[in-house]
Amino acid sequence: MAFGGVLGGLGVPVPAVEIGIALSAIVLGVMVAFAARPPLWIAAVVVGLFAIFHGHAHGVELPESANAIAYSVGFVVATGTLHALGILIGVLNRWKAGAKILRGAGGLIAASGLYFVSGHLIGA
Amino acid sequence: MLLLLHSGGVAAHTSTKGAGDLFAGALHPLTTLEHVVLFIALSLLAGQQMRRSRTEGVLLVFPAALIVGATAAAWLPQLPGATLINMAFAIVLGALVALARDLPNPVFVVLVVSCGFVHGLANGAAVTPEIRSYLFIPGVGLAGMAVLAYGMLMTDYIYQRDNGWMRIALQVAGSWIAAIGMLVMGTGAGTMLTN
Repeated sequence: MAFGGVLGGLGVPVPAVEIGIALSAIVLGVMVAFAARPPLWIAAVVVGLFAIFHGHAHGVELPESANAIAYSVGFVVATGTLHALGILIGVLNRWKAGAKILRGAGGLIAASGLYFVSGHLIGA
Repeated sequence: MLLLLHSGGVAAHTSTKGAGDLFAGALHPLTTLEHVVLFIALSLLAGQQMRRSRTEGVLLVFPAALIVGATAAAWLPQLPGATLINMAFAIVLGALVALARDLPNPVFVVLVVSCGFVHGLANGAAVTPEIRSYLFIPGVGLAGMAVLAYGMLMTDYIYQRDNGWMRIALQVAGSWIAAIGMLVMGTGAGTMLTN
């Protein structure tokens, strides 16, 4: 995320950011829906690659007037806290019903990603 | 009883004129994000190093470096791009906390002293003729010591508990600090170099 944010803030173009973000919802949503357990390094690479798109989108929006340090602290803390919240929600996986809810939520996230991709393609 | 009745009103805050400069000195680094982030990173790293060797001495070395730096600010020119230097420290210290590796003592000491001196310089630059530097500068040192002590205590407690997720959270905090440094370097480099 931070690396993507730096690229966005510096104005370095990253191709297909919007599609990349939508794809992240589809791929990660499908993985949750199917309760996939890839090796840790694969999961890290997938998450890291998609994070560049998300970070870039935020970096591009960095207002000229913003205090770089306050913005960066907010950026990182909000990102990390959201991830911590996700991990907390993932604790549901310990219960049978909770695991089903999680998989359903993954399906919904994938569907929303599909909606964004289709909207983008129709718009193009 | 008579003595109790005789006692007058008591002010909670010191009435010593000028003592406010001590508090101003203590608050100066604590109200600046780039200093707070660095102090926290250094305190976590120092706490991690305590696993291997006795690093409590850093509680004296770091404030001393801060005080020397702040005092030197009176005759040394202000560092160009001081914020960027601070952020470079944030990347290095944050990454070291995230990696949770033991550092050779000389490397650790160099990091502590250089970090303290640079931060001292930045804080000392805030001393104006109206401020009593002999109070302000020790205030800066006290703030550094307090943050370092709290961070080291917390880190040591986490390692003593031998609790896996808390150790990971500590390393994550380090990665956050490195990420903040990277973002600031990337997004604010242009403007900060000109300031």
